[in-house]
Amino acid sequence: MSKETLFSLTIILTIVGISVTAGHPEWGVFTGAAILLLAAGTAAGAVKARSQYENRIVERPAAGQKISSSLVTLSSAAIFAVYAAGYHRTGSAADKFAAQDARRRTAAAIVAGAVTPQAALPQIAATPAVRPSSTPLAPPRKARPRVSSGEAPRVAQAPAEDSPAAPSAPPDATPPGAPAIEAAAPQPQPPVRYKDGTYLGWGRSRHGDIQASVVIEAGRIVSSAIVQCLTRYSCSWIASRVKGVGYYNLPEEVVARQSANVDYVSGATESSDAFYGAITSALSQASE
Amino acid sequence: MARLPALFPKRVSDDYLHTVSLMGTFVTIHVVGRGADPQQATHREEAAGRAFGWFRRIEECCTRFEPQSELMRLTAQVGVPVPVSAVLYEAVQFALAVAEESDGAFDPTVGHAMETRGFNREYSTGRTVRTDLEPGGSVSYRDVRLDPARKTIALLRPLVLDLGAVAKGLAIDLAARELQPFGNFAIDAGGDLYLGGCGPSGEPWSIGIRHPRRDNELIDSLRVSNRAVCTSGDYEKQAPGGDHGHHILDPRTGVSARSVASVTVVAPTAMLADALATAAFVLGPAEGIRLFERLGVEGLIVSPALEQYATRGIHGAC
Repeated sequence: MSKETLFSLTIILTIVGISVTAGHPEWGVFTGAAILLLAAGTAAGAVKARSQYENRIVERPAAGQKISSSLVTLSSAAIFAVYAAGYHRTGSAADKFAAQDARRRTAAAIVAGAVTPQAALPQIAATPAVRPSSTPLAPPRKARPRVSSGEAPRVAQAPAEDSPAAPSAPPDATPPGAPAIEAAAPQPQPPVRYKDGTYLGWGRSRHGDIQASVVIEAGRIVSSAIVQCLTRYSCSWIASRVKGVGYYNLPEEVVARQSANVDYVSGATESSDAFYGAITSALSQASE
Repeated sequence: MARLPALFPKRVSDDYLHTVSLMGTFVTIHVVGRGADPQQATHREEAAGRAFGWFRRIEECCTRFEPQSELMRLTAQVGVPVPVSAVLYEAVQFALAVAEESDGAFDPTVGHAMETRGFNREYSTGRTVRTDLEPGGSVSYRDVRLDPARKTIALLRPLVLDLGAVAKGLAIDLAARELQPFGNFAIDAGGDLYLGGCGPSGEPWSIGIRHPRRDNELIDSLRVSNRAVCTSGDYEKQAPGGDHGHHILDPRTGVSARSVASVTVVAPTAMLADALATAAFVLGPAEGIRLFERLGVEGLIVSPALEQYATRGIHGAC
């Protein structure tokens, strides 16, 4: 029986049921109720037929929406779970190894800071300073410490600023400053000391090689810069990319291209990977 | 050039903008405006500090390049349920869910196959890793068991988990959560993005998608708000050895997937976007787009011949 027939039958039975119940009070109660029940059953059949029909047509999207929402929900739940657990509990197992890892993590933090050409970047995760928006591009042809870069170690040594008990944390910060504890952990005692001097390293990309320099003073990295680029693109263009600062300080040649019209670009840049490799290579020479 | 000021007329000097090297790439956090108020500036610096801290935390936990990471210590124990941290548990649970959903096109158990294919260099130190596993034949995501009550993970066979895509996404999402109170912000982790609210122009963020074959060009651009945008390309992390293999292996064959040049996914979370980009890379353009439509996310797939395949709503995702 088609769904149209079932619907028609439902309507007829409903009308008959109501009129019997209303017009013949003496015998209509049971009969009317029975007819109405029959109408309801027919309606249910019609609805079922309809949903089966629809399922055939929109099976994929219907199933997809369900899956989609479950995957989105699952990812959101995962984020919430980790966030709510905060630093103390998420670190439970890993913390046992904290002592052994201390050296490694500090080294990683310093490397991390060194790779970014901006000032005050070592361990910036814990004490980010407001970066001057007008920071000039890295000098393409020579490597010299930036004027402000000398501040880097000093800023990094200020653990008080990232106090986990910061009362000004955003309201939804469940464990206030929790991850900052971790970020701050390596700060009080920087155990990895590099040998003073200026070191050069090469990084490779599909488009050619990039040479970077790292300047070490008093055992700490004070600056890093791109020295030369054997690539199709100029050093200044690559510097603007590896800075990853949202393409605001682009040289003219890039402004002329469409990429200057966007805030950010999705897709990793080879030049930044190459720069990372170059810094890694330079630091390996500075290590003991 | 006179165009520059015109392009960014509302760019103000009190934006918070910072870049740090983490997770083998550059991570930029950008909070728009309102920095002139000193208290607000302090708040957002603290929030950004916590956001960067999450990246470090996730990296420590989930890297397969460090033998002492929680992930690699889990790898060392086969056949027994191992209690793990919330970070590792949630990352693995989500990775397995995506594996299930994509029918194994995304599979976090490809870690050892990646090592054998040469993706075994730690980016920060240049050191290589090699996990000695007993030969146990091919492994899949079905060889990983979770216990939701005890929060334990058991590996049924010797295998190495690779949580690269999910871990980076999770870090981006946690960072985004820290920055949520500020409304308008952007997180850029090596080209994987989360865009909160609007950009400096007051309109939804304008996001370019890198051209997979020309490093300095875009293949498309989108307007995005409160969404993650993640792109996987065959131009990333080429395998050493010169066979032009890239970092996304087909878990079912163990070799680099070849039918796609780049995949971009726009989704509510970076975890999902990154994992689905990897899955679609393996599935290929037609199946990839079907997966996106089925899951209700937006995506753009570019083939090696530069043909573009997109979901219908890719330009209306915000």
